[in-house]
Amino acid sequence: MKNNNSVTRAFAILAVAMGIWWMASVSPVEAAGDPIVVIVNNANPVDNLTLAELKKLFLGDRSRWDTGKAVAPVMLAPGAPERTAFLKIVCGMNDADLGKYFLQAAFTGKSATPPKEVGSAAAVKAFVAGSPGGIGFLKASDLPVGDTTVKAVKVDTAASDPTYKIKM
Amino acid sequence: MKTASAPVLKVPRIVSLALIMTFALSAHAQQATTDSTTQADADQQLQQRIKDLEIKVKELEDKPAPPAPAPPPAPEPQPTIDAPVVNEVAPRLHFNVFGDVGAQGYNHIPDTFLFGSLDLFMTARISDKVSTLAEVLFVADNTNAVSPDVERLLLTYRPNDYFVASVGRYHTWVGYYNTAFNYGEFLETTTDRPFMYAFDDQGGVLPMQEVGVNFTGKIPSGKLGLNYVVELGNGRAWGLNVEPTQNNQDANNSKSINGGLFIRPEKISGLQMGFSVRHDNLTIPGPAVAETIATVHAVYINNGYEILNEAMLVRHVEDFGPVFTTTGFYTQFSRAFHAYRPYFRYQYFNAPSNDPVYIYSSPNDYAPSYVNGFVGRVNGPSVGIRYDFTAHSALKFQYDRISERDLPTTNGLTAQIAFTF
Repeated sequence: MKNNNSVTRAFAILAVAMGIWWMASVSPVEAAGDPIVVIVNNANPVDNLTLAELKKLFLGDRSRWDTGKAVAPVMLAPGAPERTAFLKIVCGMNDADLGKYFLQAAFTGKSATPPKEVGSAAAVKAFVAGSPGGIGFLKASDLPVGDTTVKAVKVDTAASDPTYKIKM
Repeated sequence: MKTASAPVLKVPRIVSLALIMTFALSAHAQQATTDSTTQADADQQLQQRIKDLEIKVKELEDKPAPPAPAPPPAPEPQPTIDAPVVNEVAPRLHFNVFGDVGAQGYNHIPDTFLFGSLDLFMTARISDKVSTLAEVLFVADNTNAVSPDVERLLLTYRPNDYFVASVGRYHTWVGYYNTAFNYGEFLETTTDRPFMYAFDDQGGVLPMQEVGVNFTGKIPSGKLGLNYVVELGNGRAWGLNVEPTQNNQDANNSKSINGGLFIRPEKISGLQMGFSVRHDNLTIPGPAVAETIATVHAVYINNGYEILNEAMLVRHVEDFGPVFTTTGFYTQFSRAFHAYRPYFRYQYFNAPSNDPVYIYSSPNDYAPSYVNGFVGRVNGPSVGIRYDFTAHSALKFQYDRISERDLPTTNGLTAQIAFTF
């Protein structure tokens, strides 16, 4: 009888520990800090995107805009804090995950290519401004008010909204 | 004698001393005279030199000032942006090499270091809507010979996400694993494929390769994420020492057809569920056989978790004979802890020993040495750990316990290093 109780207690402790571990591992990412603005080419009629759509666009799961233009994502090179935050919040990945994802996508014939990488926020803007299907992201401070070279789009809500999810 | 000579000696010493002193004083006096002469000359030369310099300075002051030298040209600004190029979506060619080496020890075969495989994988975007894929594989057979094998050669037309057409030699969409992992051991968590997905040119029972056309794409379905696959090909050949893939000559006019549907719901990122049904008429030694293969899969890969579940059912029907049914499944679970990923897999496969098709299937030169044949029941667990020691290389250790009908249980350990570059 005593042995049965011990076993039951051990299982209970194990179950609680596993539950805590599970909850810790799946807890959502807390977003706080400067917003990250998503930008598209001025000729792109899109004004709103959902977080899920944004993920598809950057992971090659959606290859064309409604206009028929090929989606051409661009991002800063690894190490940029806005890139790290964007990948974590939007794609649920880190840089290593992203590399492996596109390696596997190519191997399975998905024909998805990784986002173009550039060295500065100005380069992101220039790429998007020059590519009809371009899409990128910047820190809000890198897109001053009145900058009309590219178009900022809402992702579920406007970047100024307190509930905006993509923040550093 | 001594007394007499001593005074004689004293005189010259004194004389010598006097002479030396005289010479020394004389030399000093002479030196002093010379020094004073040299100093006077030097003073004179310096004064002359100062005068010369004063004249030159005056001349320079009298001359008009020359124009200021031009400033050095400013360095050209470094380009801070990558100018968009015409082929902005992808470079012309991607080339990846996958390889694996390792060692294996099973209780009924000698311990062996393994060459594994060398996989040359190429993709290129020919135009905005057309791309190509080629894959050449080098594997060693059980006679230790390494030979090349063109795994895939595909031309793909992709006008949009709803219609993607490919023609060539491809890996069939029979279930999930065959198209998700193929031969890139680096991409696989485990050291090998499940039994049910063993390559048909290595004794496996499912048609893993096909020559023909296939169509894939999304079906407008909102957040459900519904996709389709349709494949039409030559089907496969069977027989002893026969290449299963009919590359250039189909044995009959009947074509294999395979169709599948799967969903990737937006609400549960990483989840994929689907099924496929394939039909082919096989021309083999003996009566013709109609083959139907059905598979189902439910896969979840996200947040470090990998959960793979697949099952298959194969029916072989002779024109005027019995029906032979083969079943199989596997389930695999793993979770990443930073660079480490422990995993567990259990698999089961059961083919009738008298199946008219499989009696030719195994073993052959390429069949895995740890399985005596893919006819009959094969089942057992595998546990292992994968350690990604760089972003492009992984070390795996796997323990397998394999039970086969009417045969002793096999225990084995495999160590593998898989990499890509």
